Amino acid sequence: MVFCLIAILFPFISAIAILEGVKVQSRVSVNEGADIYVTMDMYGRNGVIPLEMAEGIKKIDGVIKAVPRVISRIYIGSRLAVLLGIPIDEPPSSLSFIKGSIPQRGEIVIGKRMAEDLNMDIGNNLSIGVRVIAIIDHRPYIIKKLYRISGIFDSESSIWTSGLVMMNIDDAISTFEMDGFVTDIAVYVRPGYEVSVSENLQKMNSFFRIQTKDLVKTYVERGFNTKGGIFVALYTVAFALAIPAILVSSGFGLSDRRKEIGILKATGWQTHEVLEMVFFESIILALISAPAAFILSFVWIKLFNGLFIAQIFIAEIGSMPPFPVPSRFMPLPFILSFFFALILTMVGSIYSTWRAAIIPPAEAMR
Amino acid sequence: MIDTEHRTQNTELRSQDNELIRCDGIWKIYNEAKPHEVRALVDVSFVVEKGSFTIFNGPSGSGKTTLISIIGAIDRPSRGRAYLDGKDITDFSDVTLSLLRRKRIGFVFQNFNLVPRLSAWENVSAPLIPQGIREKDRKYRAMQLLDKIGLSDRVHHAPEELSGGEQQRVAIARALVNNPDIIILDEPTSNIDVEAASLLIDILKGLKAEGKTILISSHDEGLFVNADIIFEIRHGHLAGSWVPLVHR
Ligand SMILES: Nc1ncnc2c1ncn2[C@@H]1O[C@H](COP(=O)(O)OP(=O)(O)O)[C@@H](O)[C@H]1O
Ligand SMILES: [Mg+2]
Repeated sequence: MVFCLIAILFPFISAIAILEGVKVQSRVSVNEGADIYVTMDMYGRNGVIPLEMAEGIKKIDGVIKAVPRVISRIYIGSRLAVLLGIPIDEPPSSLSFIKGSIPQRGEIVIGKRMAEDLNMDIGNNLSIGVRVIAIIDHRPYIIKKLYRISGIFDSESSIWTSGLVMMNIDDAISTFEMDGFVTDIAVYVRPGYEVSVSENLQKMNSFFRIQTKDLVKTYVERGFNTKGGIFVALYTVAFALAIPAILVSSGFGLSDRRKEIGILKATGWQTHEVLEMVFFESIILALISAPAAFILSFVWIKLFNGLFIAQIFIAEIGSMPPFPVPSRFMPLPFILSFFFALILTMVGSIYSTWRAAIIPPAEAMR
Repeated sequence: MIDTEHRTQNTELRSQDNELIRCDGIWKIYNEAKPHEVRALVDVSFVVEKGSFTIFNGPSGSGKTTLISIIGAIDRPSRGRAYLDGKDITDFSDVTLSLLRRKRIGFVFQNFNLVPRLSAWENVSAPLIPQGIREKDRKYRAMQLLDKIGLSDRVHHAPEELSGGEQQRVAIARALVNNPDIIILDEPTSNIDVEAASLLIDILKGLKAEGKTILISSHDEGLFVNADIIFEIRHGHLAGSWVPLVHR
């Protein structure tokens, strides 16, 4: 019974912890990013923006700097990573170089963890694959290029140190055959100028898509909340499905339980006394299994790095996450899981107990 | 047949001063009105005297267990009425029957029905739990009883670690824990060896000496000599009763 409960609660606690952890890490990323991101509208979606627009944006009052960026997905071996192409003089502030130098042409900088995982160091060459859609038959294929590792960075975000590759923006543009275009321009503004800069940007070009930090923040949060929401919904369904299973396996087999209740009643227990006992048993079961599930998922995530579980919540990682899975254990899921356990055991045992307790003991003992 | 016995037909109900239990036209029909209907008891009437040692004799399947279950208030008759101390208990509520079982009746089941996950003393004291008696006092009471029936060295054993005879004695201790005045045993010699049976007879004699009313279902003739009266059950009918010669 306890194992049954732990098995049900464990994924719930783990999932919430991982979701929360990822949320915190991305919040860090967002906060450290630029104030405004500008790109161009392309049939209602984010398109690309001409590189030279950066110069015009720099001239807007309140703008500190405008950094063109190329962001794309790349493959390292069969593993997906994120490529960030930036001007060599503008490394992101949230990254700290621990070794080497900013990438020149033909060079890349990778995260500490990725370097460890791939067993690579400065001076090694790394093959990077880019997914390209063929113009003729529209079938995607991957082209590969070799880059020299010029530096290694570290960051608070484990997702970054294991999945982010930085490259000189000119390299990125040519790799993706973007010819004078970048994916967006990150605009840093003086405090208080966010609104006026946004307005001026929109005036400058009506096709600009402008995303402020707050907007990004909301998107990220909303993304996580829907992810979390979907998960909780799925979990609730699974939970509802688990109730009959618990009903069947509740306690030590229904017929044994029935018999035991018959025995108790035959020796003078009253129905309500039997129910009270089962009620307290349920509370104790919940008290045991909720912390046990909590500890198990803590150990699972910290020691086994969320093996098999993290992949459900973090896109495109295998069963063995290549970086320490971010996690945050919060009191609310813990309390919730206690109540889940309680409801499960209650539904499982109170009903069957009641059924067995209202019939004559001779019948229950058969 | 043992020659110390003398059989008399005695089917009519006599009104007795020291009447404890009276059954009046008891029927028990399992799966009533279904194709596999079983008439386990058919119009059974009798009286059990206070302080008596009563045996219900009959072949297996004749309805003994069904009958003593109704007397022990752990089952309800399909028809007829059962009285205890002249009170009609047939329609007692679930709660009242529970309290009746607690205060008046100790039941020793044929297969003992000990709770497997509880130790000997826990089984004995389990009926005391809902009465709000502290564990220390419960344990003390259980120990006393286990000591009385010679099981003080088996207190912490699980039922599966006990022999049939020992399990039965734990079940007897449990039946006695609320100090009831009626002790009911279902086929008490069927699951134990000869030595345990003679020990059992000693225990039963002791209980009778304490003034308890003992009802037994059994077809073990070795027990008959101890009985005050033996009711014969055949195919759910009460076929008669007789008194062993030693008591005449
Ligand atoms: N729960 C039950 N459902 C249907 N038939 C039963 C049930 N219990 C007992 N019987 C039947 O009732 C009859 C009497 O059973 P029982 O009282 O156990 O006899 P005894 O104890 O004398 O062996 C038997 O034919 C038995 O098969
Ligand atoms: Mg029987």
